[in-house]
Amino acid sequence: MNQGVRFTRDQNRKNLASWLLTTPALLWLLIFFLIPYLIVIIYSFLTPDIYDVNFEFSLDAYRQALGADYLKTFFLSFRLAVLTTLLCVLLGFPVAYYIARAKDKLKNTLLVFIIIPFWTNLIIRIFSWRIFLAYNGVLNDILIKAGVIGAPLEIMRTDLAVILVMVYVYLPYMILPLYSVLEKLDFTLLQAAMDLGANELKAFFRITLPLAAEGIFAGSLLVFIPALGAYLIPQLVGNQKSLYLGQVITYKIKNIPRNWPMASALSLILLFGVAVLLLLLFALYKRSKARRRV
Amino acid sequence: MKRINISQFYKGFNLTAFSLVMVFLYIPILILIIFSFNDAKIITGWRGFTTKYYLQLVENDAIKEAFRNTMLIAGLSTLISTIFGILTALGMENKRFSGRRIVSALIYIPLVIPDILMGVSLALLFNFTRVNTGMLTVLIAHITFCISYTVIVIQSRLEGFDYSLVEAAMDLGAKPATIFWKIKFPLMLPGIIAAALLAFTLSIDDFIITFFTSGRGFDTLPIYVEGTIRRGTITTINSLSTLMIGFTLFLVVITKRVRKVLISSL
Repeated sequence: MNQGVRFTRDQNRKNLASWLLTTPALLWLLIFFLIPYLIVIIYSFLTPDIYDVNFEFSLDAYRQALGADYLKTFFLSFRLAVLTTLLCVLLGFPVAYYIARAKDKLKNTLLVFIIIPFWTNLIIRIFSWRIFLAYNGVLNDILIKAGVIGAPLEIMRTDLAVILVMVYVYLPYMILPLYSVLEKLDFTLLQAAMDLGANELKAFFRITLPLAAEGIFAGSLLVFIPALGAYLIPQLVGNQKSLYLGQVITYKIKNIPRNWPMASALSLILLFGVAVLLLLLFALYKRSKARRRV
Repeated sequence: MKRINISQFYKGFNLTAFSLVMVFLYIPILILIIFSFNDAKIITGWRGFTTKYYLQLVENDAIKEAFRNTMLIAGLSTLISTIFGILTALGMENKRFSGRRIVSALIYIPLVIPDILMGVSLALLFNFTRVNTGMLTVLIAHITFCISYTVIVIQSRLEGFDYSLVEAAMDLGAKPATIFWKIKFPLMLPGIIAAALLAFTLSIDDFIITFFTSGRGFDTLPIYVEGTIRRGTITTINSLSTLMIGFTLFLVVITKRVRKVLISSL
């Protein structure tokens, strides 16, 4: 009995210590992460001013944001995120598989090769594609000199260039989580399935893919979510005729006349979309895990 | 016999895919490095070898200032977010901590929200509170997005922690402070260094959140580079980029060294 009381007292002390240790980060995130969203919510219901906002209630921002004007923007961003994620899975899977099955010594070297671009400054990687794909760029130069094409291709400043560079930038985010599940995969299962008469394709779809689902989920999240809000890549390699959500939000905040209520409403719609997506994915993931156990 | 053939095809396919992806990942960077020696003022084919843009780089005061700003912000945000990370990870070690869920939520949620939203929300916060944007606001923003990463990296290191060492030290009569500095901290150190390096890279790399929280007159390198590309004067950007790639490679190499030294010293 006595010991039980001392045990809880000790736990209370530990609990207090935990609160003290986590309070700095907790307060910081409260002030600089959570409260700013409250301000975004408030601003989304105000009226715009050329430089600032007027504190007059209005629903105009939502009315416009959900109207026909921004349909194309939402569609473009969604399409970009879907295509980028799909292409990253298709390209990333064989790469992750290859690394996971490589000899242990080779593995780390191969991983470093995937990580180096990932560590290289984003803006530089985007800029390098401009040099490569530009109208007077290296690719056109080589193709013309080789006699493959007569006039330069106009790849730069198209939606195709945006997707290409998106895949380029986000591919490592897909490869790394895929690698980490494939590395743990028990390859004797595949061998067993094939010994029992399954062919490679069947073994792949029935064993490898379901077991890699966790990595595909994780990688897709890491690619899809930032892709929805992409600004820099569409801005630097896309064109001004097809504006993506990230660009529209940024223009509403940075360019004059400003429209902060609009930027806020669009941001909150994006946030809502991400939340719905996460909940859906999570439910799907739980179901697939439950089914696997059966 | 048949199976071996298919396996070989499979392996060949994966190897081909891997090689193609490597080409895809490295061609643009290689071209960038080669063309930093190209004697041309605009994006164009090869016009001859020159190193003059590297010399221009050294003379460019705006670049030097952007570099100083980047390092200052990265250094300070790494230091502060790593301290937050250490404290929070230690606090979260207690599995029965009553605030566990709240802290976890606040740490993980920023990671699953597009960066641009953090930029927008901080821009509005600084507007609402009438704080002038500049170095301080950029620093605040960088600490905010680094915290989640430092906490998670240090926490994952603590998860594999062998508590029998602490128990043994307690049995031998060591004081809590001694236990912390002699046992726990050294074991946490690789995680702390990994967290700090990650925070440093994230800070150097960030464009969008800095873009929303820096005022005119406070440029970090990514902001400077973007502005220069937009204005179309790209002469020094190639050489600057090449140096930055070199810096990255240097970081990769020293991380490996640091890790090796740490592991061997334990």
